[in-house]
Formats: sequence, structure tokens, C-alpha cells
Amino acid sequence: MKLPSSQFTKDQEKFRLEVRSFLQKELANRTFETACDSWLSGCNPQFSKKIAEQGWIGLTWPQKYGGQERSAIDRYILTEEFLAIGAPVAAHWIADRQTGPLLLRYGTEEQRSYFLPRITNAECFFAIGLSEPNSGSDLASVSTNAKKVEGGWLVNGAKTWTSNAHDAHFMITLVRTAPYSKESKHSGLSQMIIDLHDKGVSVKPIKYLTGEHHFNEVFFEDVFVPDNRIVGTIGEGWKQGLAELAYERSGPERILSTFPLLEEIYSILKQQQNKEAMNRLTELVAKLWSLRNLSLGVAKMLEQGGEVAVPAALVKAMGTQFEQSIPEMVRLLTETYPTMDAQKMLDRYMAQSILHSPGFTIRGGTTEILYGIIAKDVING
Amino acid sequence: MSEIKELLVKTMEKIFKKHITKETVDLIDEGQWADDVWEILKENGLLAACISEKAGGAGGDLEDLFSLLKIGGKYAVPIPLMEYIFSNYILEKFHLAPTDEMITYNLSDTPNCTLSENGEVSGAFPHVAWGRYASNLVTIAKGSGGNYLVKVPLKDALVKEGANLAGEPRDYIKLTAIPILEKSRIIDYEQIEEMILLETAAKCAVIAGTLEKIYESTIEYTKQRQQFGRYIHRFQLIQHHIAQLAGETVIVDSAVDNMMEALVEKRHRHEIPLTRIRIEEAIRTVSASAHQVHGAIGVTYEHNLHHYTRRLWSYRDEGRGHLKWSQKLSRDLLQSNNSMWEFLTTY
Repeated sequence: MKLPSSQFTKDQEKFRLEVRSFLQKELANRTFETACDSWLSGCNPQFSKKIAEQGWIGLTWPQKYGGQERSAIDRYILTEEFLAIGAPVAAHWIADRQTGPLLLRYGTEEQRSYFLPRITNAECFFAIGLSEPNSGSDLASVSTNAKKVEGGWLVNGAKTWTSNAHDAHFMITLVRTAPYSKESKHSGLSQMIIDLHDKGVSVKPIKYLTGEHHFNEVFFEDVFVPDNRIVGTIGEGWKQGLAELAYERSGPERILSTFPLLEEIYSILKQQQNKEAMNRLTELVAKLWSLRNLSLGVAKMLEQGGEVAVPAALVKAMGTQFEQSIPEMVRLLTETYPTMDAQKMLDRYMAQSILHSPGFTIRGGTTEILYGIIAKDVING
Repeated sequence: MSEIKELLVKTMEKIFKKHITKETVDLIDEGQWADDVWEILKENGLLAACISEKAGGAGGDLEDLFSLLKIGGKYAVPIPLMEYIFSNYILEKFHLAPTDEMITYNLSDTPNCTLSENGEVSGAFPHVAWGRYASNLVTIAKGSGGNYLVKVPLKDALVKEGANLAGEPRDYIKLTAIPILEKSRIIDYEQIEEMILLETAAKCAVIAGTLEKIYESTIEYTKQRQQFGRYIHRFQLIQHHIAQLAGETVIVDSAVDNMMEALVEKRHRHEIPLTRIRIEEAIRTVSASAHQVHGAIGVTYEHNLHHYTRRLWSYRDEGRGHLKWSQKLSRDLLQSNNSMWEFLTTY
């Protein structure tokens, strides 16, 4: 596993500063408030609209679909600037990260020209429907099924832990289009675009442990999905979905979910001129620096078209454990009393980090599943 | 990778693969060294790889040097590879003549060695690598008006043999009014820091190689060893060790590559300390995990794992390590006007 090292061009550095100064201005204008884990829990459609106006949704996509045809590294820079400042980008995050690339790879021309410009305008948000009440880590066992009918498919079943389904317009849904068999459990799965406002779809909130609402359960009762809302090939849903995983797992959001807390403790330790605590903080800085190099290495390899499933799994496994460790270290460096509505930023970020962090190592593939993927590849490779 | 580097790396790997056996590596614990391998490396010009052609070397650069050191770390050959290559590298950097005699170094930001007006050095050094084999020592001596890099002959030095945890020679050396062979111009604090940075970086390359070897041989072991009627890599708990070993190895490899690139672009002031600090976690995780996976055989001389883990436990406390680098880095962070994010994203 050899990954390229990370450097940026002058233009990329310029772009970073452009994004940063935009976000700092918006923060100063109180368009948003910095928060930890904002990329998944900070859903703010108005803010997404502002991002769209900058041309920053679908940054890498073809211009004819509303994109800017910028590089994957530019997108990397953009997303890490969002994360570093803790901006609420959850509304458009999934569509930008996953739906767009999926449709560009497997979608029909009609799907691309219908959905992509709407996504880049922040008019259309997506959710992903994978997990089910009885299919968590064993994703291939999903049982939401679709039966062929005239002109389309009839979908029945339920998805769960669906982030932001209540704010999203559509969901890329993994469904079973052929019966489950133990021998070939990965075949017979297909991806469909389901309109979350269609007849037969109901979205029910699941309260997250912070008391907030971003998880949902989504039920389908004889939901009709027309043929033109099938993504790619019937029966190829598993393979198509796998292709997106490297993007999903290797991005800076697997490292930086609690970064605002790290930034805040740094500022406090500087004010205190606290040598001893700063000495200890360097360990976190070194971890972050090395993880970021790894994640950037994967981004570069993805751009060059290399095989990155395993390094991406490594980024996610190690990066999310790092994000999780930040509040644990911070509380040993200075006194804090975490509450969600604390006036002190440190206390608030601590609360957000502590309460959101158990999810980091679960969502997008549990650490245990990732370790299995990595180990099997290492043994066979 | 440059073509030269690729060739150097290939040649060295070929030599090591051909000539290094378990017995070769074991020599270190018998108080011997692999002088035959040393001669082969010398004949093939590999020891002069990072000396300029002008000075009689092969004209490589720092990247070449680090690549060779990494392989050295990987094979744990009982030879003073880093000591020799690095000593010559800094000699040339400070316009002193490289040598093909055996040479080692001792660097400190608070020199414990003085240089008299008539060019004699006196001082003592507690753990000089391969000191007993070396004909020369490169070190920093405090003289009139400032510090100098000096090359000192060791034939009249007092040498008391010692060893690190891995059994590698780390000898006490006492110099009493020894006439030096050569000295540099006065060197300032910044230049000494730069030397220590480079030394740290070189050691990181050696450690990266050692980590890689432990990782590879542990994977191999899980494919050979059977328990409960199955190869042990089939057990999930072993797979978790494997994944963690892979993660630490890849992250160190990537850190060292990024560090090298930063060095080439001369923006390494923080990259080297960050790499060095991160590497300690890898040493902890990898050595613990590898031993756990190997079980009892790994803690014996029946298996060669111990050569590598003992080296890691030695190297982390040689030169400037985590503790000192953290203090340095934290001093910079305390004085900085940048945010943490600016610190991480400004090159």
C-alpha cells in the first residue's frame, strides 16, 4: 500500500484561502455557528443554498450539469475547510459526496440532467437508504424488496438510521430485486432513487442521544418506482455501491468531526501559556497530521484512478478513533463542564463531541467490519 | 522515485536478501558484526551513496540516503550503516572531508566536549553507536568563540563497551586532549538544530523500515501458524491485530514520505518532529501487537522477532525523541499567532 504524499499547488492554496475567508465572513455574520460533527448533524438548507451560489456543490462535476469541473483535490480542500470551521453542510453533503458521483458513473443521461443541476443549486437533497432494522453490519441481508410491475417496481420494506431523510427529497435506496440466497447474497440487489414525498413513503424520526433529530426510519408501502429511477443495472446494486465506499470512507470527515474542539483547546492553552498541556497536545497534532496525509494520499490515488478500498478503510478505522479521542484528551488538559447549551464554547464543543462520538466508529462501516476488510486483503494480498 | 534511487534500493535489497540469514542478524548478540556484508556494500558503492561525486561519492541526495536507511532498518543487519552514512553526510555538509574509514557520530544541542586553542578535544559521551569499531568520531565541540563540528580520531580514546536493548554496541567514549583531524567554521544554534533535525529524520527512516519488517513477518506468521485446526489469521481477534499493524505501518510510511518531501522542499521544521512524535505510537502498537500474535515463540531466540522489537525500544530513546520534540513543538505552538488549522495547512 503505497500512497502519494501531499502537496498543494499555488492555485489550490489560493482556493483554500478563498473558501476560508468566505466561511469566516459568514461565521462573523452569524449565518451559522461552529459545531462539532456539523457535516452530518448540521442540516441548514439556507446555508447550503449559499454554498451553491458559490458554485461549491458538485465542484468536480461537468459544467453541463452545473458543476465546475474542478479537481478532486479542490473538493478535498473545500470539504476540509467546512469541517475545520464546523459549518452546517449536512443538507447537501450526501448528494455532493455520493449521489452525484454515483449518477455520473452509473446514471442515465436523463437522471443526470434532471438531478445534478438541482443538486448543485441546493434544490434537491439526498439521503442514503442502506441499513434496515434487521440488517446493520450484515448489509447484504437487506430485505426491503421491489417487485417488477408494469413500467416500474413496487417497493415494500423499511430502512433505518437514515440521516436527514426528513430534510431530503430523494433517497438512493438499496433494495432486493431477486430473492436472497446464501450462496450469492450480493447479487439480486439494486439501487433505486425513491422520492421521499411519494405515496406510500413515511418518514419517522428516531431521536439521537443528544435529543436531536437527524436519524429516521423510512417505511415503504407499495411505493411505485418508475423504471427511469433505477440506478445502473438491476442486480448490480452491491457492486455499484462498493465503488462509492472509498469516497465515503477516506474523506476528511473521518478525521475532523471534532476538530473545532481541538482548535478551541489550542486557543485556550495559548491564552494560559500552559506548557505542560501543550506538550501533551502535540501528540494529537502529530496524529492528525499523519492521518491527514493518509487521507490526502487516498484522495490523490482516487484522482489517478488507483485501487484504494483498503487504504480508505484504514483512514476510516483510524481516523474515527482519533476524532473520538479528542474530547477524552481535552478534558485532561483543562477543566470543563460539558453541556449542549453551554455559553463557553469549549464546554459546548465538548458536549457535542462526547455525545456524537460513539457514532463515528459505527456509521459508514463499523471499525470491526473495516478491520475484517483490511485483514482479509492483507492476508490475500 | 528517481531512477538512481530505484537502482540503489534494488541493489541494496538484493545484497541483503542474498547475504542476510537469521545467523547474520544473530551475530549482534554474540558481540560480532557482519563485516562481510559491509565489504559487499562498500564494493558496490552503496556506502558512498549520499556523498557528492566531487568528494568521491556516488552523488545521491537525502531521499536516497533515507531509502537506504529504511532498508537497513528492515533487515536489522549488524553493521553501522546509519552511523557511517550519516556521519559522512554531515561532514560534507559542513565542508569537512568524508572518509572511508569506520566513523560514527554524537550530536547534542548542549555539547559536552571542549576544543582547546591548540586543537585538542576533551569530553565524554555515554552511548556512542558502534564506538568500539569506529576510527573516527564526528561531534560538536565548544571552542573559543563558539561551537564547531569536529572530526576526531578514536585510536587514543578511552572506550568502555556497552550495548542498547537490542545488543547493538553503544559505547562510553572519553576523549582527553585528543588532537582533532579537522574542524568546521563556527556553527550556530540553528545549524546544530538542523543537524539534529536531520538525524531525527534519518532515524525515523530506519524505524519505518523496522516497523515494516515486523508487520510483514507477523502477517507471514499468521499464515503459517495453526491453532484449533485453523490458521490463526482466520480468527477475528487476530484480524484486528493485523488491521492495526497494517494501519500503523501505512501511516508511518506515509508520514516518512511526507517528511522527506518536506525536507526536499525545505519546509521540514515541523514535519520531522511530527513524524518522530507519531512514530512512538506506532512503536508501542506494533511491538505489542506483533508479540501478542506470535505468542511465546516471539519472546525467544528461536524466532527473530525480538531483534526488531528490541531495536524499536532502543531507537526511540536514542537521539532526540518524543519528549524533547514535544517540548520544542509546543514552544512553537505557544508562540504562534496562527490557529491550529492554519498551522496544519500552511506549508
